Amino acid sequence: MKKESVAMLLAGGQGSRLYVLTGKVAKPAVPFGGKYRIIDFPLSNCTNSGIDTVGVLTQYRPMELNFYVGSGQAWDLDSANGGVHILPPYMGADGGSWYKGTANAIYQNNKFIDLYDPEYVVILSGDHIYKMDYAAMISYHKKHNADCTIAVREVPWAEASRFGIMAVDSEMKITEFAEKPKEPKSNLASMGIYVFTWSKLKAYLEADEADPNSENDFGKNVIPAMLNAGEKMQAYRFNGYWKDVGTLESLWDANMDMFDKNSGLNLIDDSWPIYAQTVAAPTAFIGPNSDVSNSAFNRGSVIDGKVNTSVLSQNVTIEPGAEVDHSVLLPGVTVCRGAKVSYAIIGEDCVIGKNAVIGSKPEETSEGWGLTVLGPDCKVEAGRIIKANRMLDCDGKEVVR
Amino acid sequence: MIGLHGLVFAYQTRPNLKELVTVRSSASIPFGGRYRAIDFALSNLQNAGCTDVGILVHGKYQSLIDHLGNGKAWDMARIHGGLKILPPFTLDDTHNGTFRGKMEALAGIESYLRSIRQDYVVLMEGDLVSNLPLRKILEQHIESGADITCVCGNDSFYVDNGVYFEAEADGKVKDVMVNIHTPRGRRGLEVYVMSTQLLIKFVEDCIAHDRYSLEHDVLQANKDKLNIRTFIWDGYAAQIRSVKEFYDRSMQLLDPEIREDLFCEERQISAKPAGKSSTFIMPGGSVRNSLIADGCVIEGSIENSIVFAGVTVGKGAKVSNCVVFKNTQIGEGAEMRYIIADKDVQVGAGQTILGSASYPIVVGKGAKV
Repeated sequence: MKKESVAMLLAGGQGSRLYVLTGKVAKPAVPFGGKYRIIDFPLSNCTNSGIDTVGVLTQYRPMELNFYVGSGQAWDLDSANGGVHILPPYMGADGGSWYKGTANAIYQNNKFIDLYDPEYVVILSGDHIYKMDYAAMISYHKKHNADCTIAVREVPWAEASRFGIMAVDSEMKITEFAEKPKEPKSNLASMGIYVFTWSKLKAYLEADEADPNSENDFGKNVIPAMLNAGEKMQAYRFNGYWKDVGTLESLWDANMDMFDKNSGLNLIDDSWPIYAQTVAAPTAFIGPNSDVSNSAFNRGSVIDGKVNTSVLSQNVTIEPGAEVDHSVLLPGVTVCRGAKVSYAIIGEDCVIGKNAVIGSKPEETSEGWGLTVLGPDCKVEAGRIIKANRMLDCDGKEVVR
Repeated sequence: MIGLHGLVFAYQTRPNLKELVTVRSSASIPFGGRYRAIDFALSNLQNAGCTDVGILVHGKYQSLIDHLGNGKAWDMARIHGGLKILPPFTLDDTHNGTFRGKMEALAGIESYLRSIRQDYVVLMEGDLVSNLPLRKILEQHIESGADITCVCGNDSFYVDNGVYFEAEADGKVKDVMVNIHTPRGRRGLEVYVMSTQLLIKFVEDCIAHDRYSLEHDVLQANKDKLNIRTFIWDGYAAQIRSVKEFYDRSMQLLDPEIREDLFCEERQISAKPAGKSSTFIMPGGSVRNSLIADGCVIEGSIENSIVFAGVTVGKGAKVSNCVVFKNTQIGEGAEMRYIIADKDVQVGAGQTILGSASYPIVVGKGAKV
């Protein structure tokens, strides 16, 4: 059963900055790009990189995620020797606990990893949109004889304080690391993707667990501890498309990146396919009254209204006379006659009643413009007006960010 | 075991489908943007809780095998039972490269028939596109005490090699007609329900007398001796047996009522996943009154058409009243009307191909125009 590499995917996060979209589901189960859920990206990257053993660490509202991952067949991960395994926190003979932090989540599953006796463990998170060859990163890790390799990229200076920021020497060896620094010294950010030599990581996780003052977090505790102890830490530069979709704005931006040829997000390219669970629904129908431009749509949809620069997931209905502009419609949304949706994210199975108006265009908004977001199953009454920058929960009540 | 076992005939040659069946059997003909014809029979069986299905094939079945895989898409990948592809045991048993009839095809799988666990079998065509409530049909079969239930459309449309039924008001079959020029009675969908034991008896009897036709040697021969009854299906039922039938039946899907009937929510149709992204309509592209599958990139205009996955339509190209199969590329400024373009066709920039409503033209798989 020995494997060279095992991937561990941290999928337990609550995703509280996605507000109403993660009210009922974990962040990795949030739909993306009309066809996918966020978790499809790391799982597909694993398959395409030849990693056939993946642990998915779940904790927060795992039902939908468990259901979605299923046997792993959609990603070719239903292997008899390896495959995808859902790993929730569990009770043992001497008790148990929730995952206290990212490092503790891996620590609690060290027996799972040991089962495959791997040389390397790849730590991934469930909130990034990107196509990346982990095999190339592992061979970089081997070539540099590193103990830990962290994928990095330059981020805009304004955002640097949201990330783990590091300094490197000319050989890309990490010399300093600061998790979410208030005053970042560089803009070289950790992407939250790590390759560890398992024997090393295991020792550090054990030490971390024994430290009562630790928050049991990779960025805050384990990485700094390894760096302080003089372990060989390499940065691995990744220049392809990558986006953390942990906020509503970044989730919307990443969806819109599908329409920008220069964004680097190319989902049509078959050479590195992103797999997803199949939805049984008939071919999309674009009706005689439709006017669809610069948009993406999916099966099960019936589109007979005006759609501009928008992402429509499966089973979306746009009635004649309805208008959708610069919006992301998650699966099962219905926009009734005469309704207008602008600059919005509309949650699964929402119904926008006749002549309702959701959000507005920045150029037509006098003040306080922002994305408008509806939680799943929200039913908006006919004629109701929801202004820009508002958010409704599943019962149609306004929620303050 | 009370239950239904599916037997799907996918060996027929259907010469009037012409170029569409040079590379495949009619059961694996693409239909409706994201399906193959056989997806409908298999989904009908799946929706009736039937997981054991035998598929009788003869020639040109590579495309079908590739499509079916292990049957996972229809929940038929089973340790016990499941989907089984049944090619002829030996080619010596066949005439002119095919079976003379369904009973001859069944004679070749006699031992398979004896291993069927279910009490009832349903015989179906691989190229019948319909959403039949097989569970209800089986219930009616059992309740009515019929020996054989024949599912009929509520019309007498002409189809190639069609079978037509005349029945009493109570549903008992009076006459069975094959290959008549002016159809009368009801159009048989060639879906038959009977007990497994009765089917085996018919097969033995036909082997013993070198008989091969289900219609002549079973239905016509027994119409006065056995209780043969009809089940009338009012919904959509397309028998894909000629290019014209394929084209007309495809275009009918642009009617929302027909789609609602064929893709009704209570009985979903499953297909092999295409593994494609969303479809993109780029700035300048336009689509009207068309079915468009996943993973297409549309920069030109499409009207009144059915477009399968992964098709690209270049800037300024005009596609109207066409059926375009998977991964076909239509170059910039090209124009196509009333064309059935098979898989992987490349239409060069600025090319024009025109068929007509009464005579749609087929462009064969992989052709470069």
